Amino acid sequence: MTKSRNLNKWIGYSGGFAVAAVLMVGCVSDVKKAEDNGGAETSEVDSSGAQLMTIGGSMFSIPSPIQTAMLIEKSGADYNKGFLNDAKKVSTYATNYQKALNLGVYGADVGYVTIYDQSQDALKYLGVINKLTDELGITGAFDESTIKRFETNFGKRDSMLNLVAVAYRNSDAFLKDNDRMNVGALVLAGGWIETLYFTTQIAVKDGNKDVINRIGEQKYTLNNIVKMLTPYYNQPEYDVLVNDLIELAYDFDAIDIQYTYEKPEVDIANKTTKINSKTEVVITPKHLKVIADKVANIRNKIVGQ
Amino acid sequence: MRTKTLRILSAALIVGLAYVGNASAQCDSIAKICAENVTADYISDGQSYRALLIGDQVAEFRATFYGGSTYRIAGCSGFTDGNLIFEIYDEDHNQLFASSEYKNTSFWDFEFGSTVDCTIEAKLNSVNVKSGCATMVVGFKQ
Repeated sequence: MTKSRNLNKWIGYSGGFAVAAVLMVGCVSDVKKAEDNGGAETSEVDSSGAQLMTIGGSMFSIPSPIQTAMLIEKSGADYNKGFLNDAKKVSTYATNYQKALNLGVYGADVGYVTIYDQSQDALKYLGVINKLTDELGITGAFDESTIKRFETNFGKRDSMLNLVAVAYRNSDAFLKDNDRMNVGALVLAGGWIETLYFTTQIAVKDGNKDVINRIGEQKYTLNNIVKMLTPYYNQPEYDVLVNDLIELAYDFDAIDIQYTYEKPEVDIANKTTKINSKTEVVITPKHLKVIADKVANIRNKIVGQ
Repeated sequence: MRTKTLRILSAALIVGLAYVGNASAQCDSIAKICAENVTADYISDGQSYRALLIGDQVAEFRATFYGGSTYRIAGCSGFTDGNLIFEIYDEDHNQLFASSEYKNTSFWDFEFGSTVDCTIEAKLNSVNVKSGCATMVVGFKQ
């Protein structure tokens, strides 16, 4: 299938003209006028401040890989080093596209190894991440001091995870500030795919219901990732990834997700709202295997296996 | 004539770049202050959300919140609390939260029993500010 046909299929699949609009303007903004009626009209950013307005241009929140890694550990799955990308491969990533995607991949890996208290492996991956951020020209996020602080927090798992997460947030801010949203989008996509890779591998093997449900819930995130990457579709290398993700989205489309709204409960004293709405995911073992195989294929292309 | 035009364009470019640089720096400063609302018991989601808003513009972003997690969402604009109003909707556009109902609080916690796909809309509190950098920071704990 040609790339344009695949993207057209996606536009039809997503049921809207938003993606086409993204391609036409090159970069979408999610800033709209308050009086818009139900979001029917999304206004493009004022050209006088376009640079500024697109600082948060890709306004999609991709869930942290750390959360799913925590779920995997909670499910009782054993630590499996075989799921991770080999740190030695870092020297084989030549283009910024490869470096950015694998910066995301290694970020997910460092989260996984930290959750399983594999501190020495975590240090090795942090060194690799430091190298990639240097090569990508991302300053002020990862450096030797990040690694030192990580070491001084050995044994305090959440502190170690937060150090990594804050460093990734600083990278994201740097890339947005410097109008490099495409690189930021690849980092997020790489992290998401790596996490989905080891989640699907574990789910196929163990059949844990919570882990399988988490895979089904990625249907939402996959749609957001495709929308986030689509503005860069015409840049070299991006088209292959976007096409692969669109093909994957078709498989996710067969997953049935039933959502039921229930009124939230508010605890004003503790500034907390309890969200009572329910989501149910239905995914067959056969479908899970199809998705697992496809994710492995995409992931292996990214890491170079 | 050509030299004069070039000078004007150069001056405009310098002013424009300075404005962009200044806005980025301002966004960074606001984001850092906003992040203080997400205390050490929360792990950052690893992303930085920011947009320059003018007047009644609304910044919108899509997020999936996982069941079994508690999220802290902080929204800020400028260097004082209450300048940003944020609202959270589910996939059917049922309103789950509006900061305006709680004195435009700059942060709030959300306990998700089940995974929910949401949209967060953020706009300036026009009583306090007419334009500015809107930043949001998200942290979670399980």
